[in-house]
Amino acid sequence: MKLFMQRSDVGDFRRRYNFMVLGIVIAFALLTARLAQLQIAQAESHQAQARRNVVGRVTLATTRGVIRDAQGRVLAANRPSYDIYVVPALLDFEQTWPKLTQWMGLSAPRAKELAAKVREIQGREGKRRLQQMLLEVDVSRDVVAALETHAAELPGVDVVPTPVRYYPYGEVASHLLGYMREIDAETLAQHEGQSYRAGDRLGAVGVERRWESYLRGQRGWQKVVRGANRHAQRTGMAERFLDDPRRLEPIPGRDISLTIDVELEKAITREMRSQLAGAVVVVDVRTGRVLAAVSKPAFDPNVLSGEQGKAAIREAFERLSRDPLKPLLDKTTSAVYPPGSTYKPFSALAALSEGLIEPTTKVDCKGGYEFGRRFFRCTAVHRKVDLYDAIVQSCNTYFYALGELIHIDQLAKLGMDFGFGVKTGLGINPEARGRMPTRAWYARRYRGDGFRGGFTLLSAIGQGATAVTVMQLALSYAALANDGTLYQPQVVRSIETSSGTTVQDFPPRVRRIIDVDPAQLALVKQALRGVVAEPKGTAFAEALPGVDMAGKTGTAQVGHVSPRSVDPKREWYFNRDHAWFAGYAPAKSPEIAIVVLVEHGGGGGKNAAPIAMRVVDAWQKLGKRRLTAHNGGEPRKDGTSL
Amino acid sequence: MSLFARGSARAREHFDWPLFLAVVGIAIIGVVNLYSATSPYIDDPRRSGLADMYVQQVYWLVVGGLFGTLAAVVDYRSIERFAYVFYGLGIASLILVLLLSSDIRGSSRWIDLGRFAFQPSEFMKIFVVLAVARKLSDDPRTETKTLIDLAPAALLFAAPAVLVMFQPDFGTSMIYAACGFTMLALTRLRRSSLVVFVMGLLPLCWSMWHFGLREYQRGRILSFLDPEADRTGTGWHALQSRTAIGNGGLWGEGFREGIQNQFGFLPDQFSDFPFSVFAEDWGFVGCLALLALYAFVCAWAVNIAAMAKDRFGAAVAVGVGAMFFWHTFFNIGMTIGILPVVGITLPLFSYGGSSTLTTLVGFGLLMNVSLRR
Repeated sequence: MKLFMQRSDVGDFRRRYNFMVLGIVIAFALLTARLAQLQIAQAESHQAQARRNVVGRVTLATTRGVIRDAQGRVLAANRPSYDIYVVPALLDFEQTWPKLTQWMGLSAPRAKELAAKVREIQGREGKRRLQQMLLEVDVSRDVVAALETHAAELPGVDVVPTPVRYYPYGEVASHLLGYMREIDAETLAQHEGQSYRAGDRLGAVGVERRWESYLRGQRGWQKVVRGANRHAQRTGMAERFLDDPRRLEPIPGRDISLTIDVELEKAITREMRSQLAGAVVVVDVRTGRVLAAVSKPAFDPNVLSGEQGKAAIREAFERLSRDPLKPLLDKTTSAVYPPGSTYKPFSALAALSEGLIEPTTKVDCKGGYEFGRRFFRCTAVHRKVDLYDAIVQSCNTYFYALGELIHIDQLAKLGMDFGFGVKTGLGINPEARGRMPTRAWYARRYRGDGFRGGFTLLSAIGQGATAVTVMQLALSYAALANDGTLYQPQVVRSIETSSGTTVQDFPPRVRRIIDVDPAQLALVKQALRGVVAEPKGTAFAEALPGVDMAGKTGTAQVGHVSPRSVDPKREWYFNRDHAWFAGYAPAKSPEIAIVVLVEHGGGGGKNAAPIAMRVVDAWQKLGKRRLTAHNGGEPRKDGTSL
Repeated sequence: MSLFARGSARAREHFDWPLFLAVVGIAIIGVVNLYSATSPYIDDPRRSGLADMYVQQVYWLVVGGLFGTLAAVVDYRSIERFAYVFYGLGIASLILVLLLSSDIRGSSRWIDLGRFAFQPSEFMKIFVVLAVARKLSDDPRTETKTLIDLAPAALLFAAPAVLVMFQPDFGTSMIYAACGFTMLALTRLRRSSLVVFVMGLLPLCWSMWHFGLREYQRGRILSFLDPEADRTGTGWHALQSRTAIGNGGLWGEGFREGIQNQFGFLPDQFSDFPFSVFAEDWGFVGCLALLALYAFVCAWAVNIAAMAKDRFGAAVAVGVGAMFFWHTFFNIGMTIGILPVVGITLPLFSYGGSSTLTTLVGFGLLMNVSLRR
């Protein structure tokens, strides 16, 4: 009866139980099927993903090569820049943030701006919150010290040193060395998949740019096991997931030794102090090695490389590109100028080699030369001058007469033999070719007709369409000095590994042995000596005792221009002549050739020659000091060991 | 005294060993798994406290066991008498929670009692089961029913469901509804009523989506439908959980060797995703064994219902079984990515006092029915 009661009471539920059990079976079968899919069918891909989650590669930074001068003095090196990073998920805005901003010395608006940035990322879900976020670059050592002292109170804040480029000599040789810039999107796209990444810095101009691939070095990497955040790690488990190779060592960039002497560069900079703009090049006449190359005004590569932050870079570039004196231009190779009278030795050689003039033939200078309907002026009334006098006293009339005898193509041919009108192959900064005008050039320029004989006269005194770079002129004078060997100029002497082993050594390279008659060359060189040594010489007044020098002054007229960027009140400056001095020393057995250009400096004898003299003097003193240093150095302590 | 003797004699005779052993088995595995889940914190000085979570869970299990025993010993027919009283207290406390609103993780589910904070919505599950069971048992008619006939019972679980929706706790709300409907399914429904009911579900879902759910809840469902679209946001949890389970493979990585968990990629691994930890450690084989245990308990609850000697007992057994089943199904379904991520715990696996207590009291009731069959 009890049993019956029970049945009748629970009866209508009864038939549901089978369905319920069926439901349970179906539900668990569904779960099991899905588990089988995940854990058996797709197991491999999930296992791979799990390993990808924990195994990562950290980049091992490399260091950029150091640039040194010929004496091993460091011209460009690396120093650490201390950058501040925060992990948004770990940053406490109540406790940490006020302390951090105080120790960083942030202004209130800047702190607010940064706080907004951090909070924005903090508000997101997912991994970004756990990654380091760059807060500030290159903070001062005081800030670093403060943050390190209080590191325990600043969870989620990290100070990370990254190397930045440092140029100890500042503006000295800045055009030659160059500076660093952040990689732009276009360059990055070109180097897709290679060693460059967004935010990388690369050489912008000069040696830094040209030798970028050597200086740069190669990043390494190391496989690491890491959790979703830094605190979820279990030690000991890590080893299991690292497959070989675990590490690729970074390769430091190559060091580069230059041919320049930074002390000479400094001396030149010192001697150019009173001039606004110009360029000086000193080369070794026996090798074509560049001992100094100065372009003025210069820039501070430290600022342009970001030493004072990005705002300072922008500001510096704005200022530099607005400057009418063009500080960013490398005036030793990238700009061309009319050589003026410094070109006369080459005109003389051209006429001599063609047999058009006799050295002893005299021309009567009455203060100018009548040609056609024009009167070509001379600087003075020199009366009767032969070739020697004409060079020593820089008589234009003589060379106008020479210009009437010679064909312009003959002038150009000899000029090109001496390297004018052709790139020198220095290859550091974009190089200007210069110009040796020929009939063909004039024909192109003036559409067929229009060549006048007067053009040849102007070419003969280094005016007209003739244009040269300071580097070209220096090498051509070196060729005069070494009796006809034209060298390719050389700035990089050798490449070394960071440990000091020489990887590559660059010997001097001869471009051409110029076919020139030694007797004729000797005549010209004698005249160049006379420029400095003869009382009538244009540079005699500037000669220094103990400086044995030969050379030629030049005063190159500039076309009347009014550059748009120039204040009309200062326009007079830009219409003043360029002052030149080109020469070599010592005159008897030449070692160096030097060219000094003072832009809009006026007369070459008065303004460029004294600089050249003093630079040569400085060079001699440097040489003596080096010699005594070598001899007076500590004797070798053979037999003693450490 | 004689009553006591009779009781203990029957206990010995009818003691439900299969249920007892299955529950104890799952609980032990759960504690061991909780240890694995929190073991990454052992070496972490900042959070080493979390690594002791499994000990706390053992305390909860002991306390829960005591309450469960109490629930098993007192004759369920006397409990039946107080079913509505419990229910009324439960509703009152849910309203209290809404009024107090102490905020934990964006929703207010807790009542703070000094050292302990408890979740009334958890205990309410039991009270809902009891109340609905009482309602079903009060209506002895066996003929097929209409929707109108079932409406009062439905109201009993709909009311708390709406209340917890406001907390907002969509998961618990869903559990009330799922348990309630499962219990209603015990009765026979007219064909036409069934059709009307199913038709009525569609507009209900639509209005739920637009008015019932909050933005983050909609986001969870959307990211469930397309987890790849949001790899770092809401979809991240689901994605990492699936990776962990798949990483377990056939045999598992081994105890405390699951890398997804050990390296912190599993979110909420002790509350919402302990199954992922287990699946990564023990693999498909381990999961199969664990699922078999869960399935057995569910089926056994139906068995107890079938053997119950009155409608109330049967309904309670089905209700407790349904509670256990739906928790399990929703939680595991969400970890393996066949259901959206809703905060529903895995009974005896997830850490939590209120939920452990509720589960064990539920099993106590089940035992109660089983003892008095």
